[in-house]
Amino acid sequence: MSGVGPMYPQEKPEHPYLESSYVGNLLGNYSSRFCAGCGYGIISQLYTRTFEDEGLDPKKYPLIIGIGCYSQIILLVHHSAQKILTLHGRAPALATGIRMGNPKMKPIIFSGDGDALGIGGNHFVHLCRRNLNCVMFIFNNGIYGMTGGQAAPTTLFGAKSTTTPYRMFERRIDGIEIALAAGATYVARTTVAHPRTFMKYFKTALKHNGTSIIEIITPCITNFGRKNLDSLGNENMNLEEDISKMDSAGKMIEWIKKNTVRINQAKFMDERELFNKYVIGEFRHDTSQIEYSEQYNRIKDIAQGRR
Amino acid sequence: MISNDEKRFLEPGKHLMMGNVAMSEGALSAGASFFGGYPITPSTEVIEHLSKRLPEVGGCCMQMEDELASINSVIGASLVGAKALTATSGPGFSLMAETISMAANLEIPFVFCDVQRNGPGNGYVTEPHHNDIGFVRFAGNGEFQVIALAPMNCQELFDLTITAFNFAETYRCPVFILSDAYLGHLHEVINIPPKEEILKRVIPRELPEDTSGRMFTYKDRVSGEYVTPKPPQMGTEYCPGLFIHQPHGPDGLPTPKPMEFIEAIIDKININKDKICLTDTYKIEDAEILIIAYGLPVRSSYRAVDIARKEGIKVGLFRLITIWPFHDEVVKEVVKNKKAIIVPELNYTGYIAEQVERVTDLKTPIIRVPKVCEFHHPNDILEKIKEVA
Repeated sequence: MSGVGPMYPQEKPEHPYLESSYVGNLLGNYSSRFCAGCGYGIISQLYTRTFEDEGLDPKKYPLIIGIGCYSQIILLVHHSAQKILTLHGRAPALATGIRMGNPKMKPIIFSGDGDALGIGGNHFVHLCRRNLNCVMFIFNNGIYGMTGGQAAPTTLFGAKSTTTPYRMFERRIDGIEIALAAGATYVARTTVAHPRTFMKYFKTALKHNGTSIIEIITPCITNFGRKNLDSLGNENMNLEEDISKMDSAGKMIEWIKKNTVRINQAKFMDERELFNKYVIGEFRHDTSQIEYSEQYNRIKDIAQGRR
Repeated sequence: MISNDEKRFLEPGKHLMMGNVAMSEGALSAGASFFGGYPITPSTEVIEHLSKRLPEVGGCCMQMEDELASINSVIGASLVGAKALTATSGPGFSLMAETISMAANLEIPFVFCDVQRNGPGNGYVTEPHHNDIGFVRFAGNGEFQVIALAPMNCQELFDLTITAFNFAETYRCPVFILSDAYLGHLHEVINIPPKEEILKRVIPRELPEDTSGRMFTYKDRVSGEYVTPKPPQMGTEYCPGLFIHQPHGPDGLPTPKPMEFIEAIIDKININKDKICLTDTYKIEDAEILIIAYGLPVRSSYRAVDIARKEGIKVGLFRLITIWPFHDEVVKEVVKNKKAIIVPELNYTGYIAEQVERVTDLKTPIIRVPKVCEFHHPNDILEKIKEVA
């Protein structure tokens, strides 16, 4: 565990900027456990940077982390942040308990595509339905990365993985569509290739009083890129470019950029054109809905005879 | 964190109450302020009653989407300093096992009411069946020790729930209340003590004094004793520092040896068995034949002992109030020089009979009286007494 920053508050800081800023802490920890080219390094830097820019009180923004490669982000964020590593898929449920146990807190949930849309799909839907004040990130790399590249519910049609060695034949699930249907009040999707939009959406979500779902498309080179060609997602457009495996960070980021469509462009595209594409942008920002714990306070008022 | 709200405590005196309601009122008196649950027969009355009562006292009762979510919300609430509980039965318990294991390893205190019922998801769901006794002991993957209490009437459902919360606060482990379908739906008169008396009994949730990063039970290197700090609380000055899911070794520091922290979470309970293991005896002094029982069969056993005594058979009753941890030493002492041991249980396997067999010498016969989905009639036990007398 050495080289990943101070494990404990009493431990001597390893980097001069460690005490002064979160980002300093992050940059000081020049070794991480992520594979080369992984998007989680970008995400943890953007997360800590936003956290610092906004001057957030770590005590009020606990970090609820699911199970996946991104669980290692726990080692990168500042040691004064309050974090808990939960069971696979149960992070939204635990965040509900934290928020309702102490309504001053606004949980920030880190979850992956398998975590939020596979095993924890039910908890995700009901978190959106309740409109609980929290921010939920879904890191979507389209694969089960930590267990070694098995097909996820979000794996693109036709992609290869260790459990779909011929090709993925199931239709993929769209977390954003589910969040919209279930009634989340702030819904956005971005990619690690668009870091500024990530920060913008995160800041909006922090100010938003209600469930905020932000999906981030992130590359997994080791388990997804090396097995798949960069023509994935462009099956319907007969491109005459060179087709190669996405075995480096650059190729994968390029593929993500090529494979995303902005929401205002997507309006003019048909289903065939949007097949295996990621639509990015802000899908919903509804401030008219009442937040869950505020609703519950009204119930308390009725029960206590104040209303 | 007991709120001063008068509504938390019922008027002292006698009340006619259903078992599940008595359990809920016990939880409220103990200071519970969060309940996460999912309706399942026969534990539904707990969530029904608490969804009415908890908002009154400023707490929160949530009906979650499933049992997995309800237990997770309970440990979430416990992490931020609310005394929390959940209630379920049958298959709901199987779903919760995953998180019970996590909570036990993270030493997050909570109380779990298991209103036991027969069978899997379908079947005689409104019939009692003490079939979770074995499951409770190892309720989940991984190694840990839990505390399980078995009340026999509505008064005990109220009292033992307060005890359960105290055990949870002191030892930081999941504490189970093993009710069952008949007990949960039984209406009985219970005696509610005055508020002051209850408050004297309750151990409130406190913030830890030690803020050096020791969050988990550790073995003090000097005294060799297990020290269980107060549970860490998110959102306060006392901050867990790093993610709380980490092994905890001697002196509260992380250890590369998982053995050390497994030892700590199991032995912190085992060395305190004398305080945790509650028992009761009835006419045991000169008994030649001994009945060992827990839960509902105790009620039939009392009657059976009385009838047998009238007929001149020396029978005694030893009652386990705390089932897990099983206090080997005490039971070993009790079963010494007895002609026979009778173990009436509301299950066919005989989970406690197995434990009694383990601590009894081979000469003493152990007679099981299994019953499933129905009460023991005192005659059922009496028959066995007469067989061996």
